[in-house]
Amino acid sequence: MANANELNVIRDQVKLPLSVAFEVAMQGIRIRFGRSIVTATGVVLGVAFLMSILSGQVIKTGVSKEADLRTETKRMYSFLSSEMGPPKNRVAGVIQVGALSDAEARLIATLLDNGLQKVNWSQAAGTQGTAPALGQVGATVSPDQAGAGADALLILGQGSLPQLDWAQVTAGMRQPVLALGQSYDQAALPKSLSVVNLARELKPEEIEAQKLEKRQAAFRSLWMTIISLLVTFICISNSLLMSVTERFKEIGTMKCLGALSGFIRQLFLIESSLIGLVGALVGSLVGLLFSVLGYGLLFGFGLVFTSMNWGLVLFYILPCLAVGVVLSIIAALYPASFAASMVPGTALRSNI
Amino acid sequence: MNVDSAKLEALFASPAEEQAPCIIRAVEVEKIYRMGTLVIPALRGASVDIFKGEYLSIMGPSGSGKTTLFNIIGGLGKPTSGKVYIDQVDIAQLDHNELAWLRCRKVGYIFQSYHLIQVMTCLENVTLPMAFAGMEAEEAREKGIALLGLVGLGERILHKPSELSGGQQQRCAIARALANSPEIILADEPTANLDSHTGREIIDLMDQLKVELNVTIVTATHDLKMLRKSDRILWIEDGRIVKMARPDEIDFSLGDFD
Repeated sequence: MANANELNVIRDQVKLPLSVAFEVAMQGIRIRFGRSIVTATGVVLGVAFLMSILSGQVIKTGVSKEADLRTETKRMYSFLSSEMGPPKNRVAGVIQVGALSDAEARLIATLLDNGLQKVNWSQAAGTQGTAPALGQVGATVSPDQAGAGADALLILGQGSLPQLDWAQVTAGMRQPVLALGQSYDQAALPKSLSVVNLARELKPEEIEAQKLEKRQAAFRSLWMTIISLLVTFICISNSLLMSVTERFKEIGTMKCLGALSGFIRQLFLIESSLIGLVGALVGSLVGLLFSVLGYGLLFGFGLVFTSMNWGLVLFYILPCLAVGVVLSIIAALYPASFAASMVPGTALRSNI
Repeated sequence: MNVDSAKLEALFASPAEEQAPCIIRAVEVEKIYRMGTLVIPALRGASVDIFKGEYLSIMGPSGSGKTTLFNIIGGLGKPTSGKVYIDQVDIAQLDHNELAWLRCRKVGYIFQSYHLIQVMTCLENVTLPMAFAGMEAEEAREKGIALLGLVGLGERILHKPSELSGGQQQRCAIARALANSPEIILADEPTANLDSHTGREIIDLMDQLKVELNVTIVTATHDLKMLRKSDRILWIEDGRIVKMARPDEIDFSLGDFD
């Protein structure tokens, strides 16, 4: 019993430290483990959906870029080999005039794969780009020597046509084939050479179509992201709302026993952020796994893995985590505060 | 209701010792619930003095405002008008912090459906209000074990409520109500969900606690066994207190006491 001094004195309720709330919240999660898993599953599903959409976009972008690159490389290879003949046991000279495009680098690799005997690699004066790894078959020479004994001379890289004595450079060639990586003014070149234009000029309407396609893709991905955010929002808020409202009675009981509203808010803040964090972490991994699996089965795993921008995909885990945690906290804290600020008698009567 | 006012006055006086201090005083308490446009008056001016150490039963048909009165005198709800004093403090003046303090230390609640926290063990349920009062975990544990022993649950302190019978759950709830040594125990139909044998055990337990711990007990009940044990019985109908009587003045063989 309270002693005489305490009679008629009402004091402020003790504010419990956060550690007590943390303890009670952890205990709640542990004991209600099954229910917590179900709640977290809602978060997992929501975040997994968001993550699968985001990573799916990255994968699709990567794959379509890779497919374009492969088509381009194949086209260049077939143009070149139609003039030069199959690369087996042939010698190619290269004058690099700048940084190689991806397609050009691929072309070299493809030529080597198809049994090119030797590459005389040279760089025009003042060239910035680096030469690809050529292994045993590569030999670095000066631009003047690049044509010696070659079946084809390739001018590759982003740069202007070097000022060379073309007649002399091409004099020692086995076949007078000159392949140009870009379209150059061919006035300086000897008429005796058969010139192959590897680059493809895009027609204005093609450029327009590509631009439109890009805009549409950007809009589509924005739209998908918004929809997936909405789905995530509904998924998470639904499961968290449910898990809190079914505990209104418990909140009312705690209030009857002298819990402060602040304590109850803390309790649900901790619980929902933990559930949100774990759910979002699992969800983003599951979402990534599913989109990799899905697109892998569709396009082939090799293509997906090599073309994917892993840095961007892993970066997307961060916003997914943030969305999961923040939504979980909001969805739990709102009804919890609502219940905590209710008159305890009403909270006890609630039949949810 | 034509009740002789002088007789009523006499009945409102404290039973055994006239000088016992008044621990809960409700003055002209009105409570109106609004459900949309519907206005439901649950209490229409109920006044009651409850004295320290007495055992008061509130009786009334369902919908009479029994539980509302019970909630208001226990600080679980606020009256629409009128005053409620607990230990001479007007609870309408208290902020939520002070109300929490009051609920934690002055009053212990026992409910019809126990309202134990299902995920916690008996001991944790009992020590929870002690934690809210800021008691050290070790001390709370010892007191919790002692209280559960007192109510006869010494063997089951680590059981969950779902592993206990109704009577055992109510015992646990009683131990929890006693956690912070309150002066007042409010019990809302504590035996309503129990069979008559278990109900009698709970009533005996509460009677024993009242004697041993000198707490004031207020119950809302229909249970004749409880009414017989109480010091005064308060009859509420349509939100008004219509009758107050001592058990020996009532013929329990009749269903009603008019």
